[in-house]
Amino acid sequence: MAGRRIVITSGKGGVGKTTTTANLGAALAKRGSRVVLVDADIGLRNLDLVLGLEKRIVFDLVEVVEGRCQLRQALIKDKRFESLAILPAAQTRDKDAITESQFESVIAEAAQNADYVLIDCPAGIEGGFRNAVAGAKEAIVVTTPEVSAIRDADRVVGKLNDRALPIRLIVNRLRPEMVRTGDMLSVEDVCEILAVELVGVIPEDPEVIDTTNRGEPIVLDPAARLGIIYEKIARRLEGEMVPFTSFDSQGFFGKLFGALKAG
Amino acid sequence: MHQHILRQAQDDSGVEIAPAPKLGRAIVVTSGKGGVGKTTTTANLGTALAQRGARVALIDADVGLRNLDIVLGLESRVKYHLLDVLEDKVTLDEALVRDKHSETLVLLAAAQSREKDEVDTEKMRALVQGLRERYDYVLIDCPAGIELGFKNAIVGADEAIVVCTPEVSAVRDVDRVVGLLGNRFKPQLIINRLRPQLVKKGKMLSVEDVNAILRLPLLGVIADEPEIIITTNRGEPLALRHDGETASAYHAIAARVAGEDVPAPSPEFKESLMDKLGSIFGGKRA
Repeated sequence: MAGRRIVITSGKGGVGKTTTTANLGAALAKRGSRVVLVDADIGLRNLDLVLGLEKRIVFDLVEVVEGRCQLRQALIKDKRFESLAILPAAQTRDKDAITESQFESVIAEAAQNADYVLIDCPAGIEGGFRNAVAGAKEAIVVTTPEVSAIRDADRVVGKLNDRALPIRLIVNRLRPEMVRTGDMLSVEDVCEILAVELVGVIPEDPEVIDTTNRGEPIVLDPAARLGIIYEKIARRLEGEMVPFTSFDSQGFFGKLFGALKAG
Repeated sequence: MHQHILRQAQDDSGVEIAPAPKLGRAIVVTSGKGGVGKTTTTANLGTALAQRGARVALIDADVGLRNLDIVLGLESRVKYHLLDVLEDKVTLDEALVRDKHSETLVLLAAAQSREKDEVDTEKMRALVQGLRERYDYVLIDCPAGIELGFKNAIVGADEAIVVCTPEVSAVRDVDRVVGLLGNRFKPQLIINRLRPQLVKKGKMLSVEDVNAILRLPLLGVIADEPEIIITTNRGEPLALRHDGETASAYHAIAARVAGEDVPAPSPEFKESLMDKLGSIFGGKRA
């Protein structure tokens, strides 16, 4: 059976799509799944950096599409996770170098030998977005609890609904102390606006900048709080009922569970 | 001259300001990577320039994913947008939204329910040119990425400000964008969301690290402050204030853009913030 194909998207840039793709992929691989991560951000690739694999790139997505190499030749295996591989984007090409149907067929091929194909979508809703979504059967929308990010996410949810893709939501970079002081929207607020199934809440953590810069997904550190959170998201994706982590915010997650059960 | 401008702007006719004696400057604010702070920078720099008395027009070029109106707190005042003007449905004056805080600041919002490929590149160029005849500064808030939206955002500009965060991925994207811009735009750099305490611990790239790669004239450095999220969500740009490190940093950037000889941002930043942090933590190194 072919693997699941999930696009990680957001509309707004810089909300954590690439970090989420890398860590969720690593968490799924750690649990024994065969995972292929595809960087759809042609011209502005970064997934290779986040995973520390930039020096090992030989071929890229566009070269696969153009038939210059086989898919398996372009896949870079992550040495830290046996069953994790990435398909890098081309850095010196434009997003219109490939079509939606070409992208779709590469993803379908990747899914033949994987349990999960996670597609790291570029920011925006232009051609790069359309390609990334064309290859997917499911979507994870990443947003931060900021008005601008939520507005962009809402626009993207609308576009995904048009294509009838099932959507799950990750709220990234939550600062519980700011939620408490009323300076940041709560997860509950975000879920209410977007009305999609919540699959994870990730607190703001300066560690992520450092691990990202060093190319070491935080999932690698068994003690890291965020690593544990990504593993929980992986388990939820696999269909397990996993309680949400509390960030010491009173009554906050109780309400959330109510909302989830109701959904 | 500034007094003169302010007096004119107080007229009820709003955006109907007398033609500028010379062409204003059209500056695109870009980055490649999203979420590094282009929109926040555009809003704050525009506000800071307007606070200096300059006539400023902001254009949100992010068709389909507009946000500049939110950051300025003008979302409920937007009636018409960029595409309405480009398609001759309304006049420019009908579409320009006057800022509620700064009298000499106007916004041309992007269309939210349209697509970037609906923008006519030549008309966009003409629009920016027209605005330059009436405003001292036209700041164009560029969408993330390097697709059509980027091309249309830069077409009318003659200068560029690139915004970069101290992250390897952002630096790589900015490097690509600077390459695409070429020399015509004389790109200048703003480093955004710096966390001096992380730099000190060796867990974040420093200003010097970033600019060792990019090698661009440095306009300013902005620290990562929760206040920016708060003011952004509230639609009140931080540059409306004149107190605090971050507001001052925006005013210093505006002064540099205006051609004033303000001391170099990097050492100034280090002295003011790093020393303060050092004293808070007793000079201890983690």
